[in-house]
Amino acid sequence: MKVNIKTKINNKVYELSVSPNQTLLHFLREELGLTGTKCGCEIGECGACTVLLNGKAVNSCLVLVPQIHNKEVLTVEGLAEGDVLHPLQKAFIDYGAVHCGFCTPGLLMTSKELLDENSEPDEVEIRTAIAGNLCRCTGYIQIVEAIKGASKELRKS
Amino acid sequence: MEQNYKIIGKPESRVDALGKVTGKAKFAEDYNVAHQLYGKVLRAKHPHAKILKIDTSKAEKLPGVEAVLTAKDIPGSKVFGIVVQNQAILAEDRVRYLGDGVALVAAKTKEIAEEALELIEVEYEPLPVVTDPEDAAHPDAPKIHGDDNVFVHHKVRKGDIEKGFAEAEFIIEKKFKTQFIEHSYLEPEAVLAEPSEHGGVRIIGSVQNLFSSRRSVAAALNLPLNKVQIIQATLGGSFGGKDEVMTSMCCRAALLALKTGKPVKMVNTREESMLESYKRHPYTMYYKWGIKKDGSITAMEIKIYADGGAYASMSPFVTWRSVVQATGPYYCENVKTDVYAVYTNNNYTGAMRGFGSPQVNFAIESMMDIIAEKVGKDPLEIRLQNGFERGAITATGQTLDHNVSLKEVLTKAAKEIDFQNKWRQYKSAQDSPIRRGIGLACSYRGVSLGAEGTDAAGTIVSVQTDGSVIVSSGITDMGQGAQTQMCQIAAEVLGITMDRIVFLNTNTSRVPDSGPTVASRGTIMGGYAAKRAAEIVRSTLLSVASEMTGYDVQVLDLKDNYLIDKDSGERLASFSELAAECFKKGRPMYGFGWYKSPQTSWDEEHGQGIAYFTFVYGTNIAEVEVDTETGKVNVVDFVSAHDVGRAINRQTVLGQFYGGVAMGLGYGLLEEFEIEDGIPKQLNFDEYLLPTAMDVPNVRAIIVENEDSTGPFGAKSIGEPTNEIAAPAIVNAIYNATGKRIYELPANLERVLLGHKLTRKGERGSVQKEKEELVIESCKIK
Amino acid sequence: MKPFEYKFSEKLDEILDILSKFGPEAKILAGGTDLLIELRRKPAKFPKAIVDISYVKELDGIYENDNHIILKPLSTHTQIYKSNVLRRKAYLLSEAASQIGSLQIRNRGTVGGNIMNAAACADTVPPLIALNAEITLQSINDARILPLNDFFIKPYKTKANPDEVLTEIKFSALPENAKSVFIKLGRRNALSISRLSVAAVLQQDDSGKILDARLVPGAALPTWRRVTEAEEILIGEKPSMELFRAAGAKVSEVMISYTGRRWSTEYKEPVISALVRRALEKCVMT
Repeated sequence: MKVNIKTKINNKVYELSVSPNQTLLHFLREELGLTGTKCGCEIGECGACTVLLNGKAVNSCLVLVPQIHNKEVLTVEGLAEGDVLHPLQKAFIDYGAVHCGFCTPGLLMTSKELLDENSEPDEVEIRTAIAGNLCRCTGYIQIVEAIKGASKELRKS
Repeated sequence: MEQNYKIIGKPESRVDALGKVTGKAKFAEDYNVAHQLYGKVLRAKHPHAKILKIDTSKAEKLPGVEAVLTAKDIPGSKVFGIVVQNQAILAEDRVRYLGDGVALVAAKTKEIAEEALELIEVEYEPLPVVTDPEDAAHPDAPKIHGDDNVFVHHKVRKGDIEKGFAEAEFIIEKKFKTQFIEHSYLEPEAVLAEPSEHGGVRIIGSVQNLFSSRRSVAAALNLPLNKVQIIQATLGGSFGGKDEVMTSMCCRAALLALKTGKPVKMVNTREESMLESYKRHPYTMYYKWGIKKDGSITAMEIKIYADGGAYASMSPFVTWRSVVQATGPYYCENVKTDVYAVYTNNNYTGAMRGFGSPQVNFAIESMMDIIAEKVGKDPLEIRLQNGFERGAITATGQTLDHNVSLKEVLTKAAKEIDFQNKWRQYKSAQDSPIRRGIGLACSYRGVSLGAEGTDAAGTIVSVQTDGSVIVSSGITDMGQGAQTQMCQIAAEVLGITMDRIVFLNTNTSRVPDSGPTVASRGTIMGGYAAKRAAEIVRSTLLSVASEMTGYDVQVLDLKDNYLIDKDSGERLASFSELAAECFKKGRPMYGFGWYKSPQTSWDEEHGQGIAYFTFVYGTNIAEVEVDTETGKVNVVDFVSAHDVGRAINRQTVLGQFYGGVAMGLGYGLLEEFEIEDGIPKQLNFDEYLLPTAMDVPNVRAIIVENEDSTGPFGAKSIGEPTNEIAAPAIVNAIYNATGKRIYELPANLERVLLGHKLTRKGERGSVQKEKEELVIESCKIK
Repeated sequence: MKPFEYKFSEKLDEILDILSKFGPEAKILAGGTDLLIELRRKPAKFPKAIVDISYVKELDGIYENDNHIILKPLSTHTQIYKSNVLRRKAYLLSEAASQIGSLQIRNRGTVGGNIMNAAACADTVPPLIALNAEITLQSINDARILPLNDFFIKPYKTKANPDEVLTEIKFSALPENAKSVFIKLGRRNALSISRLSVAAVLQQDDSGKILDARLVPGAALPTWRRVTEAEEILIGEKPSMELFRAAGAKVSEVMISYTGRRWSTEYKEPVISALVRRALEKCVMT
């Protein structure tokens, strides 16, 4: 049995009839082809599937798709404005925060919530915010540096 | 000698980063094609059992199911293996561990495929299970393959061990144990296999070592190598882990694709991944050293049992590195080392970052601190006293004739954090229940494959007619940055900027077999080949330039995307104009570079020879806070110093330093894949605990550069060295804080507080566990 | 995921109506951080209907009323730890909420879900029991108020009926001069499940004598409760190291009296005792 929902994904309005028995993660990847959001554990531990739901970082593997009804979803594909990268994206490149890149989309989304709410987070606040995004490659240091760098950029503009 | 490089040594951005921050990078699971089927694997029900009967008839009848296959459907070789060909693509008559595949399903949807698995009926006759390598080595143990579970015995014999112990004033004997470690690449395994126009198969997947996977797929399907094309998708981490497990997935998907004539996609869930994939070997290590009162070492007798699990995999090579490096970088005239790899009914074990070194370094570096205390020296003194210098002869009889920078990395690291003073201060009594400690560990490590086997690689540099450049290589990138290094090297040689270069993901049909991308050999092998390839193109370009300008080749140079006059610096033509001219003249702008490593040698009987063509040296220092009332350890400061030869890209080198330390911290404190009676307990990241951003400290990185002629621009290895000494540094720091020594990893809450592990029998991984079984001790759900 | 009927409403009475129809065949969905993990594991009793209460506005929010705090069940852990009211009047609860899982989990997970799921390591429960919280359970025909203390039967089992919705959590604000803490011991510093935890409240009179003490260990007892045996040791006394040590030892003793000596006791016995002592020290120091 399908469920009718109205939602906004990456600033585009959708009115959809969806199967309720799927996660937002699955829906984004399989139904909308937004494969930037990654599937790493499906139990809300790794954070690779993090998207913003009404501006809040959530594990999309733990959101049932009808729960985006009347809400806004932002995925990594919606972060840049056209060809202009979000300062976080640019900083992740510049600071060497991207290694294998599988955790990167999730980390970018979590960091976005952090910087949207706190324009000048300190080291502990950054680490606390991104603790739900596991990264096996970087040891997190370059990611923390990138977030600090992006926050500086954002404050300038 | 400081060269004036434009690109080498600079923190150039990774060439693959843009795609990764925008979500455009395509990982294996991101590939989809029309009419694809979904493949799923039925895995074993018992860790060791005879298969009496497999009935697939009910599954075949399920609507939407297009194929149900078992081992008998494999037309060619049913087994594979790098060294010993005994790993089943699908178990035929016997399962040997719980991750063994028994049957395959291809269906229109994942859900149908999963439902079909439940309809396959397998009749088993359970066999006795053996899970401890020392038990398994016993003649009476149940046999896993053939009539002996001990399938590897590497030896090193140097001097006279009896004489060495006779000369000793103290003899110290200790036992150390390490755990199974899951690679924990964030991206679970995935492939998409399609029948190809040549009657073969084309596979895109998360494969680390494409050529070995291709060999096995071809053998399984009775195809020549040219009809099996494997393309590497952007790889979401590997750390040595996406080798055999991907080979079997490639074979299975290819088999399903050829049987159904349709594309087949296979993706492991995290639980399937952890259940089936191979792990880092647990080692049981017996170290017996003879020392003199002055701290010199007269004898080292070492016996190691490596748990090989159900299949041979890389065990022969992993344990070989262990036997070569088991004594550490320390002088000792009399050495007797025996390393055994033993089959058990556990997950098979294979390559993982470090490759046999993290285990032995834990033992060696613990021993060094133990002997230091015995003779009243500090950890730095004992290592400086016994550590190798240029000209040293290793346990395997190799003379180290390169710049042996062990003491340089030791002293630089120690100075950075004021090691000796802190060590002395923390050693004296501390009042608070939270105590500080500092610990040190160092290592030497053979670069690349060494005497393991053929060591050569190829890279292609192809300048396009508009002056843009494509680089491709048999060396693969899995996130470590190999492609960026190869592009930087090509850019340096061609005098162009990085934005002109695109790196093509490795495709077995388009680049030559370059061996596996393992052993921290990416930059040294692929990079050297890139340098040679670019030099070929450069030489053609300059000769065309000379014809074009009338200048002598000697005075021409390529710089900043221009052809210049070296003397005046005048720009004579743009790189694009030069490329166009070259094309017009019909000259090739395609360079293929090949690099074969310098000769190594090995005498297996005595364990003597030139094991590796060069070595790297590193030191880690950990400063910890130990909560002596709970056993909780926090790493609060860290120094990592490594001689990398030359940093091709400082930023990626630092990335390796940091990532290596974090993984080493997990090894030391948190991570443990437990298998009880053949049944894994941790199958997802709620129970298998990786360090988070809150657990990993900032790292003070010290990049030491002593150029080595064996690598491009003097570069050596860095990927694995960074991961092999963090755990012993942490454990030594815990001792400094508490006076309690940890002999078994990880140093978790219970071990630090009580000195031993607590096990709850029968506790299972989250997947199999029913909620009702959950009691207070095993609270798994948030 | 197997198919199910997805039911949702913005109105509580409609939700209650749906629940009364499906009974035990329905599962309530709020933040989803426990339920979706459970559904993925393909439980034998897969629910026929998922009833989404997350759009019911009247179940959301944190309110202060006289000296009472009313915590609505859809309040997320993020809302709880960001609430100024709770930080001032129920500090231990905001401390507990701030340490749950990860930012993503805290953004979705709700206090109602934490209570109703009843995992032994649910971090908001020990503080709420220490706050003497009462909960309201509502069904289509009835509403009842229970002390939270009395709600749990064993891990993952509560006294709630399948047709009941948790609609309110209510407790008195802590007195101005009371101090409270929540200490969590996990294996790592984030994304961590409590190996053990302690919720503590301590109130002293002007002379320093302890007027009120509340101690609730987490992941230690078969069900949560205030360890009054240890609280009694404290009341009427002046804080001292020995006193706090004695209280810790008592909690440990009570724990063992309930659980017996089992595989983990060797570890938990000294550690819970130390954590209780530390929690009390922290109350006195802050």
